[in-house]
Amino acid sequence: MKFGPKAAAAALILSASLALTACGGGAGAGAAAGSAATALTLGTIQDVRSWDPAQAHVGHLLQPYQAVYDTLILREPDGKLSPMLATDWKYNAGNTKLTLDLRTDVTFSDGAKFDAAAAKANIDHFKTANGPQMAQLASVKDVTVVDADTIDINLTTPDPALEYFLSQAAGLMGSPKALGTDGIKTEPVGSGPYVMDKAASVKDSQTVFTARKDYWNKDLQKYQKLTFKILTDITARTNALVSGQVDATILDPKTGKQAEGAKMQLAANEVDWQGLILMDRDGTKNPALQNVKVRQAINYAFDRKTILDQVMLGQGTPTSQPFGKASGAWTPDLENYYSYDPGKAKQLLKEAGYENGVTLEIPGIPDFQTQISVVQQQLADVGITLKVGAALTNTFTSDVAARKYTTMYFSLFQGQPTVAINQIISTKALYNPFKNAAPELDAKIDAVRNGGADAGKLAQEVNKYVVEQAWFAPLFRVNQMYYHNAKVNVTPQTQQAVPSIYNYSPAK
Amino acid sequence: MIRFIAKRLGSGLVVLLVVSALTFFLLYMSSGSIARNILGDQATAEQVAMKEHELGLDQPLLTRYFAWVADALSGNLGASWFSSEPVANSLASRIPVTMTMVFAAMILIAICAALIGVAAAVKRGWVDRVVQVGAIIGDSVPGFVIGVVLVTILAIQLGLFPATSTISPESGADAWVYSMSLPVIALLINGVTGGAQQIRSAVIKQLERDYVRTLRSRGIGEREILFRHVLRSAAPAGLTVLSLQLIGMLGGVVIIEQIFALPGMGPLAVTATGQSDLPVVMGVVMYTVVVVIVVNLLVDILNGWLNPKVRVS
Repeated sequence: MKFGPKAAAAALILSASLALTACGGGAGAGAAAGSAATALTLGTIQDVRSWDPAQAHVGHLLQPYQAVYDTLILREPDGKLSPMLATDWKYNAGNTKLTLDLRTDVTFSDGAKFDAAAAKANIDHFKTANGPQMAQLASVKDVTVVDADTIDINLTTPDPALEYFLSQAAGLMGSPKALGTDGIKTEPVGSGPYVMDKAASVKDSQTVFTARKDYWNKDLQKYQKLTFKILTDITARTNALVSGQVDATILDPKTGKQAEGAKMQLAANEVDWQGLILMDRDGTKNPALQNVKVRQAINYAFDRKTILDQVMLGQGTPTSQPFGKASGAWTPDLENYYSYDPGKAKQLLKEAGYENGVTLEIPGIPDFQTQISVVQQQLADVGITLKVGAALTNTFTSDVAARKYTTMYFSLFQGQPTVAINQIISTKALYNPFKNAAPELDAKIDAVRNGGADAGKLAQEVNKYVVEQAWFAPLFRVNQMYYHNAKVNVTPQTQQAVPSIYNYSPAK
Repeated sequence: MIRFIAKRLGSGLVVLLVVSALTFFLLYMSSGSIARNILGDQATAEQVAMKEHELGLDQPLLTRYFAWVADALSGNLGASWFSSEPVANSLASRIPVTMTMVFAAMILIAICAALIGVAAAVKRGWVDRVVQVGAIIGDSVPGFVIGVVLVTILAIQLGLFPATSTISPESGADAWVYSMSLPVIALLINGVTGGAQQIRSAVIKQLERDYVRTLRSRGIGEREILFRHVLRSAAPAGLTVLSLQLIGMLGGVVIIEQIFALPGMGPLAVTATGQSDLPVVMGVVMYTVVVVIVVNLLVDILNGWLNPKVRVS
């Protein structure tokens, strides 16, 4: 019997596959994939750096901390703040002192008791440990223990974002016995619903948690086992989800199509906005950007809806404003403030004295290559040349701070208004490296900072100012494409790309 | 032979030192403000200065390099600036994952490439043509593309393998092998065709040599000529190709490990480089250089053993 060349080639590949398959034995691919309702496996994009709560981060990286650390305040999926370790809290008349009443029935996993002294120890530690979110407590002067279950957080200046921060990184409470030790860097010690199974965990691969016995709030402890599988690569995350290795993970519009094909469910949530940050508003390096008409012309040059449909498969909402819907600063009138009007863009350039064209230079960003190409084309149509430089590198943050870029295409968080102001508008904001300011704007920002419960509404004025002055050229708010299988119910968390750990429950 | 090995080891140490210095200085000079990278976009200038002091970044560059060398010589590669995990621990947990995958792939490549290459050289005809075409396809299709195709068909559609790694302390050796299968097959398909082509050429070259004609004229059988004489003479070329493939594979596994979420050196290298986590990057570079030196040394020894002339050259 003779084999033809095709058969020989096929046999070669098959034999290699079978040889290895035979070695593989019968281990199940999804053995740890949360096939039972008592286990939940989540695909995440990055492992935590350190389990020290003072080194905790926000965004994707907050979720694993929530498994082991309770926060002082709980943030509901819609953004409402609810009691957690703090049962009640209120400001004094001048918004410079926040008094918190604390639970008395909570212990940490090492047996230490949670009380006012423990809360103070955590806040003090967070303020001095030089973590990535240390700025969250920048307004905190000190903490006073009033009695065993009450603390006063004294502020140097009012901070409307403080309660929000206490539901985030700054509010995570670790055992006072473990704070500052080397041990807590690799093994968390908190009062949270789960404890880490260190033996089953592998750095940068998976972190396994088991439900903590006698946890004080069983309503928040919906699984017996919780696994975070670290999947940096989006293809790997997609494959893990559709093959049942993880129950839920974050994808993007393109990979989401594959997940939808495999009957995965989408929990979409608009969190970031994408567009141009026109940073050199005083014309320090690019004089054209000093002219508000040039900045407005840039805004009129974009057909936002078409870009969104073509590049992001329609996953998002076109917008002209940098503040998000849940921020309180969002204003319906600003949503389409700059409609697509290339004629008007050309007219504005002419009025500004740039009828012969304007040149903008931006850094290349691998993740936004397609968006930048489309932006380049649409700007060219009105006479603006976009020169795309070398790709952003890991020196990006320091390069932005050093005013290397006058303009950049980026994706930015649309969160709590004071957070957004501190990130992109105030003179201390990283994304305002040229420290552009105006007395009128300063007054509006001050009003927000001293506005207490009205801060969101007052931030509408800041929003209006930066939109009218065209500090940015937002294109759209982007949907975070969070997919999950039918075994789990997931509620999206407002202003978070991934839901809080409390937002998952077994499907009935 | 001992002198030969000692010379090779000596030159390896020099290479190690030179690469460490170059890497160290280039990385430090091109990393921008590392402290700001660690602390993120909310950090103040005071925080950045505090972090720089904590990491010793306010020391002169040469002082830092000599301190690193002194520590490295005593076996201390430092700790990650981001996770505080000792670099030695990071390497120790990841090297077995990467090296078992690479060695499994290399052994299979060596066996398959030798069989296919010899078959193509001896049989010629359609076998040879298949090998030639296969070599072109194998060389032109990147390993990660093969990996993605394998995952789609064998893992997602057929469910024969896990789509991503299931390696963990609680899973046994079978899960290890099971997780490694698709990455190894991807590396195998990518590497075997090129190796077979090289072995084919080396064997054909030997078969055309005068000594083979002489052996044949003495009536010695083709099988004995092939296995006793031709393969021994063709082996150095094959070994060199395989060693180059192994070294090249160290780069290729980075993407393969990402796709299959294997907790090996690849993700560590990618993350550390992206973050400018220099202690970890230095550890990864040193590991890679050591592997390259050891592989070259082993190939030199094997070639020296197969061909004594190499030892005196």
